[in-house]
Amino acid sequence: MLEALYAVFVGPFRDMIGAPSFLIEVVIGGLAAGLMYSLVALGFVLIYKASGVFNFAQGVMVLFAALTLVGLMERGVPMLVALALTMAVMVALAFVIERVVLRPLVNQEQIILFMATIGLNFFLEGFGELVWGSNVKKLDVGIPDSSFTVAGVQVNRLELTAAITAAVLVAIMAVFFQRTRVGRALRAVADDHEAALSIGIPLNTIWITVWSAAGLVAIVAGIMWGAKSGVQFSLSLIALKALPVLILGGFTSVPGAVAGGLIIGLGEKLAEVYWGPLVGGAIENWFAYVLALAFLLFRPQGLFGERIIERV
Amino acid sequence: MRSAEAPPTPLLQVDGVSVRFGAVHALDSVSLEIPRGEVVAIIGPNGAGKTTLLNVISGFYHPTGGHIFFEGRDRTHLRPYDVAALGIARTFQNVALFKGMSVLDNIMTGRLLKMRGSFLLDALYWGPAMKQELEHRAFVEQIIDFLEIEAIRKTPAGRLPYGLQKRVELARALAAEPKLLLLDEPMAGMNVEEKEDMCRFVLGVNDEFDTTIALIEHDMSVVMDISDRVIALDYGRKIADGRPDEVRADQAVIDAYLGVAHA
Repeated sequence: MLEALYAVFVGPFRDMIGAPSFLIEVVIGGLAAGLMYSLVALGFVLIYKASGVFNFAQGVMVLFAALTLVGLMERGVPMLVALALTMAVMVALAFVIERVVLRPLVNQEQIILFMATIGLNFFLEGFGELVWGSNVKKLDVGIPDSSFTVAGVQVNRLELTAAITAAVLVAIMAVFFQRTRVGRALRAVADDHEAALSIGIPLNTIWITVWSAAGLVAIVAGIMWGAKSGVQFSLSLIALKALPVLILGGFTSVPGAVAGGLIIGLGEKLAEVYWGPLVGGAIENWFAYVLALAFLLFRPQGLFGERIIERV
Repeated sequence: MRSAEAPPTPLLQVDGVSVRFGAVHALDSVSLEIPRGEVVAIIGPNGAGKTTLLNVISGFYHPTGGHIFFEGRDRTHLRPYDVAALGIARTFQNVALFKGMSVLDNIMTGRLLKMRGSFLLDALYWGPAMKQELEHRAFVEQIIDFLEIEAIRKTPAGRLPYGLQKRVELARALAAEPKLLLLDEPMAGMNVEEKEDMCRFVLGVNDEFDTTIALIEHDMSVVMDISDRVIALDYGRKIADGRPDEVRADQAVIDAYLGVAHA
């Protein structure tokens, strides 16, 4: 009994203190992974903030963006050109989605819009594979997936690049949403379609803007994840990892998406490395969901989400 | 068609406008004019077509017949945000505020049409973007002073009592510096004191901001007090149009309110 308590509450911490540079490596690895989750979560937050729609297809958009980029590069298109083309494709996709899916459904219940994004999810998945094929592709962005050492701590170049990119993106978006004209218009649209129209906000333009932005974020996420684990169908499943991030951070908060991602990335790495051996590993697979469940019980609006106020 | 007639042109002309929902004639060939600088009240029993009229003017519905002229130009088929850009602002019967946003942010959204700038600068909150934000903020503070809502600037709009929400909605509409302000039952559900405040604000807006106002109202004493002209609707038709005391004495209006056996 005492041994079990020791193993859970004391042993892991003794291990951490015993090998500090290893601990730092684990922490850095966890935070980097967390930022990568945040990248995916950001796509959700963007669309949810500006239209109140939970976009089920966000994961597939990541896959689709990565597939397009790799597909073009495989056909001999230089990387920067391929990137520009992929961006154009994602913006075009936003136009099509607005015209075909969103516009006919203005003022419908949220659940209906949600169902529409499920449809979009399956369409994009099928369409992407039809055009680019379903075999696993390697994405080489010229950043080696290798490590260098700083003061005895190993740092992975790819993870570092991903982390810096994610941090910059997030900083820009946070300011943009909170402090500017367009950001305020986006929040207004999310809140009340009718009122937004009446003060002169063109809904359609706003939707195209926000879906384009989500598409561009999907490209970044697709590149980072694709470079790490190859471009294949399972890439769309990282969307599932973004869900607990959203629950922790709040669906409407850009900083929340980052904090949520960091907490989950760090938490699951620490749990896996230090407590994993006690239960035979695989903590990483469920840690995020259990944490999310706890949050749902005690703080359903998330860390930074808008408080849900309802008059009775 | 009539735009060439008799100068000075009224700010808004509604010419033979009809709106049908299936077999229901919500508006049946209604014509009216709203002259510059006046406060015009639109009255009528429930279902008379008052809100439909406002919705047609602000572009939420498109008429199935007739024309609407604003400042002499035909703008019958514009969309709501184009109408807003022309200088027509409105409030809603069931308060349509951005509930999650602060009062200040709600009113700032009303200034969107007055703001311009590049997307990129906006995103970086840099240089002109920041300067512009501050200038508009100053104007919004004037409105906040005017409507006496200083104390609730930072409160999320959804948490305010109903009367104050209506006032914030008015502030947001004013922020756009509209030429024509449409108010859909601005005093519904208010107590006497709140109504008096609102009357004062409506008249103040008309006076100080030089805004033409069309409002829907049920309380006849309010209507008599603040309007220069009254237009009465019943079953989608205009039944009276004139000075408040004339309309009050009009037999058709009395019948519509008290009910007579329709032949």
